[in-house]
Amino acid sequence: MASTARGDVRARAVSRRCFMRAWAGLAPLMAWGPSGVARALAQPAPAAVKRGGTIRVGFYIEAATMDPHLSGSKIDRQVYHNIYEPLVTLDDKLGIKPGLAESWRQPDPRTLVLKLRSGVKFHDGTDFDADACRFNFNRMRSEPKSVRKGEVASIESVEVVDAYTVRLGLKRPDAALLATLTDRAGMMVSPKVVQERGGELERNARGAGTGPFQFVEWVKDDHILLRRNDAYWNKQGGPYLDQIRYRPIPDDTVKLQSLQSGEIDVMDYVQPRDVAAVKADRNLVAVDVPSLADFAYQLNHTRPPFNAKPLRQAVAYALDLDRIVKGVWLNVGVPANGPIPPTSWAYDAATPPIKRDLTRARARLAEGGKPDGFSFTMTTNNIPINVQEAEVMQAQLAEVGIGMKIRLVDAATLISDGNAKNFEMISFQWSGRPDPDGNTYQFFHTTPGTSLNWSGISNPQIDALLDRTREVSSQGERKKLFGELTRILQDELPMVFIIHPVEPKAFSPRVQGYDPVPDGMMRFKDVWLK
Amino acid sequence: MGRLILRRLLATVPVLLLVTAGVFALIHLTPGDPVDAMMAESQDAAARESLRRELGLDRPLYAQYAAWMGRLLRGDLGRSIRNQEPVVENVGRRIRPSLELAALAMAISIAVALPIGLITAARRNTSIDRLGTLFTVVGICMPNFLIALLLIFLFGVTLRWLPISGYTDPLEEPLAGLRSLLLPAVTLGLALAAVVARTLRSSMLEALAEDYVRTARAKGLSEGAIIRGHVLRNALIPVVTVVGLQLGTLIGGAVITEYVFALPGVGRLVVDAVFARDYPLVQGVVLLIALGYILSNLAVDLLYGWIDPRIRYR
Repeated sequence: MASTARGDVRARAVSRRCFMRAWAGLAPLMAWGPSGVARALAQPAPAAVKRGGTIRVGFYIEAATMDPHLSGSKIDRQVYHNIYEPLVTLDDKLGIKPGLAESWRQPDPRTLVLKLRSGVKFHDGTDFDADACRFNFNRMRSEPKSVRKGEVASIESVEVVDAYTVRLGLKRPDAALLATLTDRAGMMVSPKVVQERGGELERNARGAGTGPFQFVEWVKDDHILLRRNDAYWNKQGGPYLDQIRYRPIPDDTVKLQSLQSGEIDVMDYVQPRDVAAVKADRNLVAVDVPSLADFAYQLNHTRPPFNAKPLRQAVAYALDLDRIVKGVWLNVGVPANGPIPPTSWAYDAATPPIKRDLTRARARLAEGGKPDGFSFTMTTNNIPINVQEAEVMQAQLAEVGIGMKIRLVDAATLISDGNAKNFEMISFQWSGRPDPDGNTYQFFHTTPGTSLNWSGISNPQIDALLDRTREVSSQGERKKLFGELTRILQDELPMVFIIHPVEPKAFSPRVQGYDPVPDGMMRFKDVWLK
Repeated sequence: MGRLILRRLLATVPVLLLVTAGVFALIHLTPGDPVDAMMAESQDAAARESLRRELGLDRPLYAQYAAWMGRLLRGDLGRSIRNQEPVVENVGRRIRPSLELAALAMAISIAVALPIGLITAARRNTSIDRLGTLFTVVGICMPNFLIALLLIFLFGVTLRWLPISGYTDPLEEPLAGLRSLLLPAVTLGLALAAVVARTLRSSMLEALAEDYVRTARAKGLSEGAIIRGHVLRNALIPVVTVVGLQLGTLIGGAVITEYVFALPGVGRLVVDAVFARDYPLVQGVVLLIALGYILSNLAVDLLYGWIDPRIRYR
């Protein structure tokens, strides 16, 4: 108790509590480092900020649920990051910053001790403390419909050490756990709300979070309304807005027109074909947000033709990624060298994407016993840009005699076929995770039964590498391991990687203070309207 | 009349049985199930299996169908898999925008089609007739979403007279509601009006060629009086048929219009439910739409009897 380690001292007197809070406020700056501090100090003075107003956000589909432990949809996360808070958060370099946990330490590789922020209340007035934290973890692990089980699978035990300290015991070392806790798996929900409301939490999240905004109402297919949390614990910066109003607008053209006519202020995603027009429009502000995503095609290793490595490589050499990114995606993204995007610290800049080489492609065809080519079926989602990409690929492969038949299906069928390994080549667009583990382990590690390893790849070298990346905690060493993985993946080809897309967002010029983070989540805490 | 209605209602039962069996088979046999859709990002196979068991999806198809029919006969349409709310509540919430849109679209279509059909028939082979025909051809051939986007661009973006998307209930806020429904109703209404106008024109021409019309002209009646008093009612039968069919489809939800204008209607509901493989919701909605369609057809048949006394059912 008398320890002087920052974050381990429990505040008693009022003055010391204020002092500790000041430290907590500075902690994010320390995580940023000196350049980060300089950048923060260079921000415009708060005097220019205007409080008030309602910001109207347009999304492409309706949210599915307001319960972060049961959610599988990306749109839900956009709302969550404003009403709920995770234990740790991401900065714009994908570094881990304190969130509801003001500090953490690992006394050994299988233990994670989190020191929680004190003085934080849920919107319903109850305190956030270690008991609440443990309640949340247990719920994620035991609630039957929890979608977070896989994400917290490495957690074996959750122990309350004192009112603001939690000790997580891990089944195995998990270097990726902290990054996972920056999203839904780390979001804290009020235990009182869960106990009182049960399943109704999915539709009504009033009082459930700790974030800068609180849930007001959700009129299905019409809007979700949040309002400012005036009792928010973080007194630095916002929230400034009075309200946030989310509207589902399924049609992209109509969404853009709504922004242009001033009916909405923010658009979550601009289609590549509209990007040039948005950038040219002086009444709109376009922000390119490089994402964590990787878009690829999985190849089925368990049956012909792609159980033969030379044929997989023939396909990879016959494709022209530069052309696809330029012609189909209009350069809204970069060609991919593997599953890890350039936004990640683990990105291997030394390994370029596979370059088109028809000579090598033909050589691989011969090696695979199909010198005159072969044909196969590619399954993809029936949306315009996927269809365009498929047609371009079809033409490129035809140049070496590989005939690709295109099979268009809807999303549920795609998922079902992928899980059942009922495909030869199948489209796979992964939205990405902050830790490279989230873009790799579950896809390339040997996994019997139904899993996200749709290709069925089972390679002991890859397995060993992936296991090692979870055990090792040094970022430098993990980066080396992921670099090696990238090289092996370009050889073994469980997937043909196409692009790391950019997610352009568009705003009305009234919107100020938006800070893009590569996870694509729109956090409105410090946003204000002119 | 009463016996007719009763007979027709009894006849709907086998139709509904066929419809439900057909939809059930189709949606269950399509690859993919709601668990796949809901837990797409989860690698937890055990959790998926337990959810499947909980939803009864691991039982054989006939058992699932029997279970659903059993609940149906007790008046229970089940709960949506995605949001756990009763199907009836889901539909109830979404049916109002669809019905309002249908009513408004129908009103616009009749208001536009009647004059055009009448005038083009009365002034046949003149330039007015050709103009009217041009309108109907364009209305029939132009795709729904194209009309929608053009109207949005003109009235929403350029002139800023009307909201681009979204829905306000006219029964709660009449002016705002009407403004939010106007563009979608005009989109649907124009396409329907084209068909109705065409039908009216051809049936009017047929009626105008009848002998009794010649007699009436010989008696000295004006053209207007002839049309109003004698021809129009006779020409209406095919038109009522067409309008009835259109009403049926409108009740089913004008899916594309609802998507483009972001209206929370039944059409979008059922399409989203199909994509998510939300079985109870799809089955329930299709059943209700089929029922609505059958009832509107019944109403149309009864209307025949009122319009044309020669058509009376025994």
